[in-house]
Amino acid sequence: MGYEPLVKKNPLRVLNLAGNNKKMGLIMARAGVGKTALLVQIALDSILRGKRVVHISIGENLEKTKLWYDDILEIILQECSVAKPHELIDMVQRHRMIMSFKESAFNRARLEERLNDLILQDIFKPDCVVIDGFDFTTMDHKDLEDINSLMESLRLQTWFSATSHREDDRVSPSGVPAPCHELDDLFETVVLLKSDQENVQLEIIRHNSDACSGDTYHLSLDPATMMVKKDD
Amino acid sequence: MNKDLEKVRNIGISAHIDSGKTTLTERILYYTQRIHAIHEVRGKDGVGATMDSMELEKERGITIQSAATYCSWKDIDINIIDTPGHVDFTVEVERALRVLDGAVLILCSVGGVQSQSITVDRQMTRYNVPRIAFINKCDRTGANPERVVGQLRDKLNLNAVMIQLPIGLESELEGMVDLVTMKAIYFDGDQGDELRYEEIPEHLKDDAEEKREELLDAVSMFSEELMEAMLEEEDIPEELIHAAIRKGTLDLELAPVMIGSAYKNKGVQPLLDAVEAYLPCPTDVENIALDLDKDEEENTVSNDSNDPLVALAFKLEDGRYGQLTYVRTYQGVLKKGETIFNTRTGKKVKVGRLVRMHANEMEEIEEAGAGDIVGLFGVDCASGDTFCDSKINWSMSSMHVPAPVISLAITPKDNKAQDNMSKALNRFGKEDPTFKTFVDHETSETIISGMGELHLEVYIERMKREYNAEVEVGAPRVAYREAITQQAEFNYTHKKQTGGSGQFGRVAGYMEPLEEEEYEFVDEIVGGVIPREYIPSCDKGFQASMEKGLLIGAPITGVRCLINDGSYHAVDSSDMAFQQAAKGAFKEGYKKAGPVIMEPIMKVAVEGPSEFQGAIMGSLNQRRGMIVGTSEEGNYTVVEADMPLSEMFGYSTTLRSLTQGKAEFTMEFSTYKQVPKSVSEELIKEYEESKKNG
Ligand SMILES: Nc1nc2c(ncn2[C@@H]2O[C@H](COP(=O)(O)OP(=O)(O)O)[C@@H](O)[C@H]2O)c(=O)[nH]1
Ligand SMILES: [Mg+2]
Repeated sequence: MGYEPLVKKNPLRVLNLAGNNKKMGLIMARAGVGKTALLVQIALDSILRGKRVVHISIGENLEKTKLWYDDILEIILQECSVAKPHELIDMVQRHRMIMSFKESAFNRARLEERLNDLILQDIFKPDCVVIDGFDFTTMDHKDLEDINSLMESLRLQTWFSATSHREDDRVSPSGVPAPCHELDDLFETVVLLKSDQENVQLEIIRHNSDACSGDTYHLSLDPATMMVKKDD
Repeated sequence: MNKDLEKVRNIGISAHIDSGKTTLTERILYYTQRIHAIHEVRGKDGVGATMDSMELEKERGITIQSAATYCSWKDIDINIIDTPGHVDFTVEVERALRVLDGAVLILCSVGGVQSQSITVDRQMTRYNVPRIAFINKCDRTGANPERVVGQLRDKLNLNAVMIQLPIGLESELEGMVDLVTMKAIYFDGDQGDELRYEEIPEHLKDDAEEKREELLDAVSMFSEELMEAMLEEEDIPEELIHAAIRKGTLDLELAPVMIGSAYKNKGVQPLLDAVEAYLPCPTDVENIALDLDKDEEENTVSNDSNDPLVALAFKLEDGRYGQLTYVRTYQGVLKKGETIFNTRTGKKVKVGRLVRMHANEMEEIEEAGAGDIVGLFGVDCASGDTFCDSKINWSMSSMHVPAPVISLAITPKDNKAQDNMSKALNRFGKEDPTFKTFVDHETSETIISGMGELHLEVYIERMKREYNAEVEVGAPRVAYREAITQQAEFNYTHKKQTGGSGQFGRVAGYMEPLEEEEYEFVDEIVGGVIPREYIPSCDKGFQASMEKGLLIGAPITGVRCLINDGSYHAVDSSDMAFQQAAKGAFKEGYKKAGPVIMEPIMKVAVEGPSEFQGAIMGSLNQRRGMIVGTSEEGNYTVVEADMPLSEMFGYSTTLRSLTQGKAEFTMEFSTYKQVPKSVSEELIKEYEESKKNG
């Protein structure tokens, strides 16, 4: 492929999280910390490894979602020189499809219908789905199990983002905050983002179905791009 | 004449088809006291609206021509520039956007933001045009202005904020609450001429307070004074709110939203007040002219009538009195009887008649100052030309003209049609730089080319109607191009010995792909191995080769040709010989330079009910489309895709039958891209066959 070095600062690559398994992952943070940017990084990592990604944006429009990719790609291209940048941009476009939904227009049935439209008509066969803006507050365990089995049956790796709130201090035994504190067993990986003065701190609080201790899986990220900060 | 420019508004009105642009314009002209009877747009009296003067337009129900109409409201002079709503006429739209300073975006309260509004709005953003939104047809069943405001935010990314609240909706629409003055406005009299201001009805008071808070929150960021007044919970002066809305609008950070029903005579006068209050005057806008004497150096026009003249011709019309040219002056004064010159052609012309176009009459005037929009008679020019007086040589048209992407052959039905056709083509070419005409020397056919199927169709119909020229139309053809993908060397000797003097020239160097630019010639010959006088011959030979590629005969773009070696013969070398040598060299290099065929790619948006999303995506996918994404809201969906133009022929029919006519699409030229291998092979095969048979 030749593009892999481009993602050497991708947090998933660094943590070796972007496996080939078809399980669900979750990114949690308070509003505005950088969940979308991290999801875009996850998508780009997959795309640069030749996989196809459906990016689902709930409550955010198509144009803005596209902009996230353009901006992050531009920064990656500034940092690493690529012989034919157009080909890279083209490849990202061809391996990515964005579906944006008004909050009220999104539900499991529609998700299934849309993914089936794509796959059965051979329009676009995704390997990975990232879902941004999903409302977990109205989900119970059973609902998410449903979605999990849908994604498993379609053999899709899925990453969600969820917003946690200061006022709500409920957490699961493994440390997953509300609104996902009772759903944590359904995720293979749970990543927590927190911002401090300069950086965004990424912490893996759950991996391979085990709760893991924070400091072994800890990274500092650039808040603009969610790429790993390195001083070189 | 030193007109107070603060009192001038040059505005456009843009809308999706059938949102009520014609009706609203008619109402505006009525209230500004220029028309005394309102004709229904499709009324039985057959009179029709004043702005849509062209028959064809009326038949299609779309507005193609952009003319400028003058009217006055209170002490404000308003020029309404009719912006074409259809996206196939990009250059015309863009030229209209050039001369207007602000715009009213009309939306239907039921239909909301539709595909054409999206495209036109994108162009307005590109040209930094501040705008007010007017949600029309609030009297219709299903009217939902709040939903439309949501769409303005989501689909157009506008910071849309209601400055009015409807009093009743659908058939109950009575008037509106002005959230700045906190007064209810009603429209009395047959034609809604009499405005009645009242207290806000009891049942709307809470709602109005809440909406006003939202409005103040949204606009306070544009005015510190307002912010302070709000913190101190003082009574807030109206002027402060007006000023904040104006600032936000001019900065393109805010889009004030108004509501009404043009048809039921509700809300038009407040809209005119808002045009005055919130849209820019000529001095609020920066316009750039290029100094042709100084390598196109950029200058900001002054809007000062005392400075040398700069005026842009933006629209031509054929009328009873000859060519009518609409111009906007950017600085200086245009005076009857004076001589001005066209900076594109360098030709001098005398200003004969100068007129101001009212809705139903033409007023002869003596002069037009900076910021004004007027008509000129008897001036021969093309649309987009700039006029100056002899003091400066500036051009307003830095406007980029895209190359045509589609062409077709036309054949006149008889001799008379032949004459008329030439007249028509000559005129259209002047009006619209994206519409081009040429004669194919191999087939002797007349070829017209432009930006899309509909673009050409409209001109063919205009030919028939306005010029009485009936033509047979060939199948549309895509304007392919050829390009190279890698560097390749050449070293070619042209040698001919025929009887008397021979021909000799050798040209060596390399060619390589060039991004952005069409062609570049680099001369690195040292030691005179090719004599100076023959260097331009090499350039000429290369350029001639670019006209017709070797794969399918399409023009080649994006090549840098560099020469660094060669040889000549004291007797046998000539201009001709070196041109031939360069052609041979080009051919030799081209074959090794990985030549490819490029095709126009269109940005397509299809919108319709969600139930058809799968079918729509399937249909695009079958046509080699790359689906960029979808957006869904309620039961309504938009699919965006990049599509090869060649695959879009007949798509409207497919879409209609696929969705029972419930979906529609728009397209806009995006870029050229390399065709896939299978298509390339097909095209090459076709070309070879046509060469054999032709
Ligand atoms: N109910 C209703 N119909 C309207 C209104 N404004 C325009 N129309 C109708 O909508 C149709 C299209 O209007 P027109 O002005 O031609 O729209 P245009 O295509 O944008 O110029 C006509 O039949 C008008 O009578 C309105 O405010 N309310
Ligand atoms: Mg109309």
